[in-house]
Formats: sequence, structure tokens, C-alpha cells
Amino acid sequence: MASLITCPHCGVRPKEEFSIRGDASLVRPAPTASDEAWHYYVYVRANPRGRTHEHWQHVAGCRRFLVVERDTYTHEVHSVTDGAVVARENGR
Amino acid sequence: MIRDYYNRHALDEKLRGAPRPAGVNHLAIAHRQAVAMVLAQAGEEDTVQRALSQTTEFILRFCASGEWLVVSENDTPEGLQRRLDALCAGRAYIVDQSEARVLFRLSGPSTRRILAKGVGLDLHPAAFATGASANALCGHVAVNLARTGDDTFELIAPRSFAESLFDDLMAMGREYDLTAAFAG
Amino acid sequence: MTAYRLMAGGLVDRSRSLSFSFDGRPLRGFAGDTLASALLANDQMLVGRSFKYHRPRGIVSAGSSEPNALVTIGSGARSDPNTKATVAELYTGLTARSQNRWPSLGFDIGAVIDRFSPFLGAGFYYKTFMWPAQLWERLYEPLIRRAAGLGRAVLERDPEIYEKSWAHCDLLVVGGGPAGLIAALTAGRAGLRVILADEDFRLGGSLLSETQPIDGAPAHVFADRAVAELQALPNVTLLPRTTVFGWYDDNVFGAVERVQKHVAEPSAKLPTERVWRIVARRALLATGAEERPLVFGGNDRPGVMMAGALSTYANRYGVAAGRSVAIFTNGTAGYRAARDLHAKGIAIAAIVDSRAAEADAAPEGVRVIRSAAVVDTRGRLRVSGLVVERSGFEELVACDAVGMSGGWSPVIHLACQRGAKPVWSEALNAFVAPDVGGGLRVAGSANGVYTLSGCLGDGAAKASAIASELGFKPAQDVLPATGEETDPSFTALWYAPGAKSKAFVDFQNDVHAKDLGLALREGFGHVEHAKRYTTSGMATDQGKLSNINAVGILAGMRGVSPADVGTTTFRPFYTPVSFGALAGTARDKHAAPVRKSPLHEWARKNGASFVEAGPWYRSAWFPRAGEKTWRESVDREVLNVRANVGICDVSTLGKIELFGPDAAEFLNRLYSNALLKLPVGRARYGLMLREDGFVYDDGTVSRLAEEHFLVTTTTALAGGVMSHMEYCSQVLWPDLKVRFCSVSDQWAQIAIAGPKARSVLQQLVEDDISNAAFPFLAVGTVTLKGGLKGRLFRISFSGELAFELAVPAGFGVAVADQIMEVGRAFDICAYGVEALNVLRLEKGLPTHAEFDGRVTPDDAGLGRMVSAQKTDFIGKHLSARYGLTAADRSQLVGLKPVDKEKDIRAGAHLLREGMKPSTLNDQGWVSSACFSPVLGHHIALAFLKSGRERYGERIVVWDKLRDQEVMAEVCNPVFVDPENARMKA
Repeated sequence: MASLITCPHCGVRPKEEFSIRGDASLVRPAPTASDEAWHYYVYVRANPRGRTHEHWQHVAGCRRFLVVERDTYTHEVHSVTDGAVVARENGR
Repeated sequence: MIRDYYNRHALDEKLRGAPRPAGVNHLAIAHRQAVAMVLAQAGEEDTVQRALSQTTEFILRFCASGEWLVVSENDTPEGLQRRLDALCAGRAYIVDQSEARVLFRLSGPSTRRILAKGVGLDLHPAAFATGASANALCGHVAVNLARTGDDTFELIAPRSFAESLFDDLMAMGREYDLTAAFAG
Repeated sequence: MTAYRLMAGGLVDRSRSLSFSFDGRPLRGFAGDTLASALLANDQMLVGRSFKYHRPRGIVSAGSSEPNALVTIGSGARSDPNTKATVAELYTGLTARSQNRWPSLGFDIGAVIDRFSPFLGAGFYYKTFMWPAQLWERLYEPLIRRAAGLGRAVLERDPEIYEKSWAHCDLLVVGGGPAGLIAALTAGRAGLRVILADEDFRLGGSLLSETQPIDGAPAHVFADRAVAELQALPNVTLLPRTTVFGWYDDNVFGAVERVQKHVAEPSAKLPTERVWRIVARRALLATGAEERPLVFGGNDRPGVMMAGALSTYANRYGVAAGRSVAIFTNGTAGYRAARDLHAKGIAIAAIVDSRAAEADAAPEGVRVIRSAAVVDTRGRLRVSGLVVERSGFEELVACDAVGMSGGWSPVIHLACQRGAKPVWSEALNAFVAPDVGGGLRVAGSANGVYTLSGCLGDGAAKASAIASELGFKPAQDVLPATGEETDPSFTALWYAPGAKSKAFVDFQNDVHAKDLGLALREGFGHVEHAKRYTTSGMATDQGKLSNINAVGILAGMRGVSPADVGTTTFRPFYTPVSFGALAGTARDKHAAPVRKSPLHEWARKNGASFVEAGPWYRSAWFPRAGEKTWRESVDREVLNVRANVGICDVSTLGKIELFGPDAAEFLNRLYSNALLKLPVGRARYGLMLREDGFVYDDGTVSRLAEEHFLVTTTTALAGGVMSHMEYCSQVLWPDLKVRFCSVSDQWAQIAIAGPKARSVLQQLVEDDISNAAFPFLAVGTVTLKGGLKGRLFRISFSGELAFELAVPAGFGVAVADQIMEVGRAFDICAYGVEALNVLRLEKGLPTHAEFDGRVTPDDAGLGRMVSAQKTDFIGKHLSARYGLTAADRSQLVGLKPVDKEKDIRAGAHLLREGMKPSTLNDQGWVSSACFSPVLGHHIALAFLKSGRERYGERIVVWDKLRDQEVMAEVCNPVFVDPENARMKA
């Protein structure tokens, strides 16, 4: 777990200012998608050793959902990107 | 029946009584001020920021991309709303927060050391210069923090947390004999 | 007398005599003493009894690695157990007590345990106290705990205050010895923001006991000059008495500053201890090196100390630990200590050197016994001689103190706290710091550079490199001149062969060399296993002195290099940190913030009894004179609302305003019911699902203008719903044009409920609020007489004719006071959340007691709130899945006790009559229950399998907590006014 997160809007902040929501790589299926797709979206989570993408909300700051790309083993943070920017890139 | 309703400050209980003389390190609580949240419409963030930056009649506080708190010492809440509506010309939504926020003004040579007990930001002038503002955590409470001078900072906190934040700030300032009173 | 204060010398202030006590004995020391140096000056070598065998133990070291000299300092609630006497700063009035002894330190009954020690080897507890198992908790563990142990924790409330603080710097220097001081000077002069932390109360580290001059002056003078210059630099912060205990991600360090542990009368303005969280762009470890003890027979006898500690006590504190000191060494350091002591006029009995022939010079006239080992010691509470073995011949060397020197280990703990393992260096015969990247570097002895000139050079060079990296321009200062250096080499000796008595490895946990052999024989030879099997390194000193010897002994027994054995895992904390310091200010009212409603003062004035609801204090009920129980107050409030009118503070509900052309569409996707066509000026009940199809939250949605909405949430989920909305807006639907803002704190909101609500309210507002002008679910701006603007909502949570009036928060108390005043003619009363709960229960309205995360809208009787027409909303897909639509799901019903005198409580389960309680027979559960003053008996809301088909059926309410069964009748959950006639009146 990182001690500090560099928020793209607010700068370097202690982790206490953030709230972690979870896996940011999931894409919400269409309402008409299969039961299986919805099952995976809501219930199934990987627990990787290594790089992950997570949603961290800067609750005590700008309140933006950020996509934090970090390593669960080395704790290194590779990138922090605004969640809406990532969502638009993913064409959601 | 016609009546004027008394406006009660969130810290009336804490600060009731004769104002004590301000010490070297002092916490002044603004008694009445107009505060509004400005939410820029999508795509209008830069235009709104430019418009708001033109005037010196109120203070602008950064909250998030496209979101600012605006504080005015002279306007009424309605007056500020009208002024902002005119300035932003339909490119932003204005929400009155005058009653929702309490403004704490911390001044004195030890302010940075006092704030370091609750705020994780680097408050060195090279990192957080006069004029800078941001939402941040102070102890347990999310506030908007601004540097208004070398040794002066302002914290804007949600009203319901005001007493808790006040207690925390006074504990943080105990080492430096922090005093507190309503402003002017 | 053996140990004594030298006539002159040392850095103590001989003009300031301080009184203190040890085990009740009044003693005196000097300012600048540690408790240990002052005890030695008073010939108090014996300071404690060992953990397991109760063996007498004396002071071993002169620093934070001390395993033995643990004492309790202070008294009553302000006593600190297990404080190291070797780092405790002496102050007037300090009271210290020895630990783990009874009745006294000199005569300890528990010492009889040592006689049985052959039966008490490693793993003894596990093997001996295995059977019968039930005796473990009742007999064995209490016995063992009483016999073994250190200081006792105090049960009284801690009167000290603590705090935390953040700090930011370009360079954190850990350690204020030669390398640290010069690094801080180099970086400070170059303009970096520097923090220099050192655990000692005086900065200087080894310079304070160094005999070699620097720039022609004593080393401590150089240290003092450096400190004075650093103090004058505005960009440098000096933190003496501060232990950097942890290195965390992103170069954040934890440190604890003992702000006023060293004063008799602490100032109320200052914390006792302060935890620093230091964010450092770069850090330099200048933590020095630790001298290793030697493992030989009887090495735990009081008086056997580290050779370097003997030097420190003589040079820094002006204290001789003995009159005739023997040295046992495997390298140069032993000779150096001998020279230091000899120079102070302390006799050297002999130098016992494990090596065959070295060039090291002993002081003139001192006998050196080469190729020799100490195999035993003599004496009881104090060493009186060494048994030295050489070429098969034993010799007794009389002495009253022993200095042991087994070589050096760099202090590298911090560098290894984030997963990287120390690296074995054959050249240094020691584990050295791994390369952990540029953020944290190591300098001086901690880097294996053991000479004074080397430390100064290394510290300056590392700081200079860091300054350049960060864009500063360090000056190329000439290094201070030092004298002739001694060769710091040694030959590893992990275990002195031929021990005639126990040779201790870990003094504090009483682990001796044979325990490690036993661990290896029984298959616990891995370093982590051996540690846990023998407890070596598991004491409060975490094996600072012992671990390296344990590794060396294991390596020797296994026939491998220490590199192959490796070390155990390094973790924070470097030295123990008090819980108080870690909690900081977060206790009592500072533990969690309290939120207060803008109507708090109104409720208080009206005599409210408050209840905690999350961070809020909410008014629970308003007792009046003569009411003896809360129920009497609540019953009165409920009946008054049903008959007349009452007002209630509902300001704590979450309130969020939304704006934008897509606000309606956004809400339509957020809530399960249809909201697109909600007219301006109208409110609608809204239900939010989670994506898994279960109910998340409910509230109201009001349309204030075409593109302007106000939603309310429950008090409990105000924060959660806000976050959820932000997630949906930012991540799921970033292209919807909607903005929102919490206005929870802006408004004081007052519910006015009861048949006379309109009559009361009409007296306050200018606007027409008749049923025709302002019908059920109407919303609008109103003007109070006098001009104050507010918002009015015709919504009801009680089933009565009701309004919610919102006014700007600061006016809340005045408006509520006014409502009470005009309402007096209508018999108005204030009511709290308990009455609110009864009112909603009588009306069958679900809350989070019902929405417990397992309940679907249909379960709660809200199936109509799930729109079939909408193409999408949160929870749509999974709410339709098999299992969530099954006919035998538990459905919301009402319950009435058949015997009207009986009560029902929430949490009870439902059973068919005559069925045994079991998971299989479970028919449902009671979610809320109360006494209904309107009906005159208890009522409950419950979830019952296929409940809506079972009205009229009798069911057993099984309450195991109170061991009670009540027969109840299943009924419609709406107990009062099912036609909603009152609400819409």
C-alpha cells in the first residue's frame, strides 16, 4: 500500500485522504448482456500479485475517482489518472 | 406576526462570552460571510475560471476541476449569488453554501507547525505558496485550506464538523498558546 | 566498591547534581547522565532478573540495543515498564524500579528456576505442558506468566498526552554521529531542507566518546560546533531524542520524539511523546554499527559488558564500570577499549584475544593472552574472575568487569524494513544494507566504513551527491582533519569453544547456545524456525545484539556461510513505541469527529436525550417532568403527533443538489423507479439498488426546476450515496452533463407532523399551503413571515399530514423556537428519533433495519418501485435473476402478539408452531419492533417466507437471546391508516 498518492488534481497526498473502491479494469456490461457477464462484473475479482488498476476516490480532496496503477507486491505506484479520462478512453 | 430570525453561528457555544485578547498565534472565526460553490458546466471550466479570476471582490478557493468555493466578506448570500450568476453568464451552477461552511482564519508565526499536526500537505512556501488553496484532510475533517499570507491560512469546514475541528485546532495549537475568538 | 565515578572527565555537568532513586534507594547523578551511567556511578551494576531463569543481570551496553537493563520508571498511572536504563535521560526525581524479581533484586525466590534449567530448554513449554489440554489456560499459562516476564503494564488511564505531526524534507539524516552530522552540514549549507534525527538526547553519537581529535580539538567539540551551525540554519530541523522507527512506502518515515520523557514535571502544553511522519525526498542512514557480544560460558554475569560501552561510560559519562577490567576480544576494538580505560587510570587485568598473533598494541604493561577463550566466569551478583582456556590449560583471571568485543555489525534495520534482505559481506564479516534504490542510502559505519575519517568522508560525499541530484550546488568543503586511525578488523568468533556453563546468545530471552543446537537437531534449523523455537531475537530488544551470533552459530552447526543462513525479517518498529504515541491525539472526543445538527442547541434546550447515530448526535426523545422511563416520553410524543402535532429535527438526512441538462436522465439511471417525468415542484419517493439487485438506499427526489433536482438520502448513507453518485457520474457515465453538490450542511430541516401541522405552519409562512395549493408531495420555496426564505416539502414519514421545512442552517434554532411558540396553542411537542421510529413502524415504512443488504424491493413490498420500462438503471439486470424473484422469498409482513401483553424484539426468528429451531425450519426474522401506543400493544415488522400470502397465520417468534417464545399473528405491515387518508388530508 502506498503511503502517498499523487492526485492529478491536488498533488501529493497521504493515503488517508483516499478511499479505495476496487478493481478499475472492470467495464459495466450493457443491460442486455448475458447473466454470465454480469456475474463476472459484480462478483468475480482477481487478486493479482503484481500490477493492478484500482479506483481510489480522493474523498478528502477533489472527490474524483482516480485510477491508481500500482504493484501489490512492490507497492510501487506506476500511474494515477482521472477515472473519467480512463472511462472515456475505454469508450464507456 | 412579523419576525426577524436570529442567525446562530455553529461555534456560538464554543466562543460565547467576552472575546479574549488575541495571542501571537490566533484563530479568528468569521461570523458572517457569503460562501458559494461554483460548478462549471461541462466544457466551460476554463471560461468560468477566467471570469471568476477577473474580479478582486471575493476570494476564490480551488476545490476540484471546475469547482470552486467563493467567499465574500461584503456580499449577502443573495448578493453573491446574483454577482456570480452575472459573472458566469449561465456557464456555471451556483450553490449557496453560506450556512454550510465555517471559516477559520489561523495566523501567527507558528501556524505551519500547528497545521502540520493535522494536515499532510507540505506547507513550505515553495510547495504551497500564498494564494494556493486545496481541499485536504485536517485531522479527521475534510476542509478547504488556503494560504493567505506567509503566516496566515484559512480553513473552510462543513458546519456540522465545526465544533470538532475547532477542538482539534485548539489542541494542535496548545503548544503555541493559540487563542480563538470571532473575527471583528 | 567496584564501579565508580571518575574524579574528572566526561561530558556530564558535574555542577548539576540530580537526585533519583532505584528500588527505593536515593541516589545522585549528574546532568548529562543516563540512568545507566548514574547507576554505575553508584556501583549499581545489578539491575534486573532474566526473563526465564531469573538470573541476575547487569548493564551490558550504553545504548538502545540494551537487553538487560530494563526498568520501570515513574509511578502510578505514569509508570513506564521495560524502559532501557541505557537511554533513559536522568532527571531530578526520577524513580526507577527493577523488574521480574521477588522479594528483592538481590534475593529473588524465582531464581530457584535456574536450578531446574536443564529441564527448561527451548520448546520446553510445548513439550511439557501438553496434557491435559484443559489445564493450559487455567494452570500452566498463568503459572508460566507469573514466573516469566518483564515489567507490568499499568491498568490505570494514561494521563499523558501524545500527538502526531507531519514533516517534509529534502533529506532526512538518521543518526547524529560523525557521518550524520557532516551529511546534515553538507546538505544544510547547500540549502536543502534537512531533518536530522537521533535517538540520543545529545547529538554527536560516537563523537561523544571518541578520544581521537578532529581539527585539533576533542571530537565532542567538533560535534557541538556542528550542532550549533545546524541550529542556526533555518532550513535544518534537529530532532534529538527522536528514534526513526520505520521506513514506509514512498520514503515516508515514522519517528517518535520523546518530547518530555526526561522532565520531572511535564508541561501541560506539550505532549509527552510525538510521532512524526516524515516525508523525505531522500534519506541517509547514518546509524553507525553495533559491537557484537561474544558467546562464552557465563557471559551473562553482571559486570560482563560490551567493550565499547566501557569506553563510552568512561569517556562520555566519566564512570568506571570496574577497578580491574578484563577484555575478551577477537579484534582491534578490544585493544582500543583497553587503551581508553587505561588512559583513565582503570587497571586492565588482561586482554584475552581469540586470535593467534595480531599487531594490535596493548597498553603498556597489560598482559595479552593470545589464542585463548573464556570458558566460564566467576562471581554471583557480580563477576569476580574469568576462566581462560589456552592450549588445554585453564587459568583464572581475577577482575571485576569484563569488556567483550566480537566485531561489528552495521545498523541497517531501516533499509531492510520494506522487504529487501541484508547482504552478507565476507570482507566485513557482517550483513550490510541491500541496495534499495536512491531514496534511502547508507553512510559511515552503517555502511561498513569504520574509521572516523572514513565516516566523515562518506557522510559528506553521500550528502553532496544527494544535493546535486536534487538540483542544489553543494560546496566542496575540506574535510576535517583526524588523527591516526586504528585498523577496525576482527576475526569472526561466533561461539567461544569449551564453555563450562551456559553461554548466552540472547540475554533478554535467556536463549543459550545449546538451545540453538537443540533447535537444529529437532529440525528447526531454518533461521526463522530457530528464532521461534528458541525465542532468540523475540524479546523487546528484537535481538539487536544477539541475532548475528545466532545466525553465526547456526551457520557453524550447519557447516554453511552466514550468507546461506540469512537473517530473520526486519519490520518496524526499530525500538518499541508506546501505544499512546501511536494513537496520538485520537482518543476521547478527538478519536472521531462528532457532527452536530444545526438544531442541536434547540433540542438541548428542550431537554432532549441524545443518541449517537454514526458521527451524529440525534435527539432521541424529549422527557418531561414526571416521566420515569424513555417509553413514557416516546409514547406521549407518538400519541401527540397522531392527535395534534409534533416537530422533529431531520437535518441529518443527506441532501444533494443536482444540476444540468442530463440531471433527470442521471437520476433515472441511479434510482430503480421512473423519474424522468417528475414535474417541477413535486417530490417522489426514490429507491436505489446496488448493482447486485438488492436495495441500497431510499429517499426523496424533488424537482426544483427543469434541470435542478434535490435528493435526500438516509442519515447513515449520506456519504456513501454521494460517493456512489460520483462514481456513476465520473466512471460509468462520464458523458452525462450533470453536476452535483452536497447541501446537507446548508439547511436546518424540521419535520412538522400531525393533523394540526398545517394550522401551525400557516401561521409562520406567507404562502398558501392549503391542500389545494400545496398537495401531498408538493415542493417549493416559501417565505417565512419576516422575509426569511426556506424550502417546503410535503412529505411524511409518519403517515400523518406532514411538512418538512428547510431554512438556512444558522436560522434553524430560531425557526424551531418560533414553531414551538406558535404551536403551543395546538399542543405541539418536540419528538425524537425513537418516536419517529414508532410512527414509521405503525405505518409499515421500511428503513435500513429492513434494507439490510439481503432485501430486494419486492421483499420489502416495493416491487412497484422497479421500473420495467426503463432500459437501464443500477441493479436492473441482476434484480431480475433467478433467486431474487423466487416466490418463497421472505417478504415484509407485520406481526402482532396474540397475547397483547407480550413483546417482540428485533433479531428474533420465526418458526412454524411446534417446529424445532433450526436453519432448515427457519421461516424468517424480525427486523424492527416497538410498542405501539396507538394500538396499545407491541408490533413488529418481519420478513417471512411468502409472507404476503400468510396474513392471519399464527407464527412462533423465537428469541434465543432472551430465551423466549411468543405467538404472533401475521398481518399487513401497515398498522395505521392503510388508505393514506391522514397523510393526504
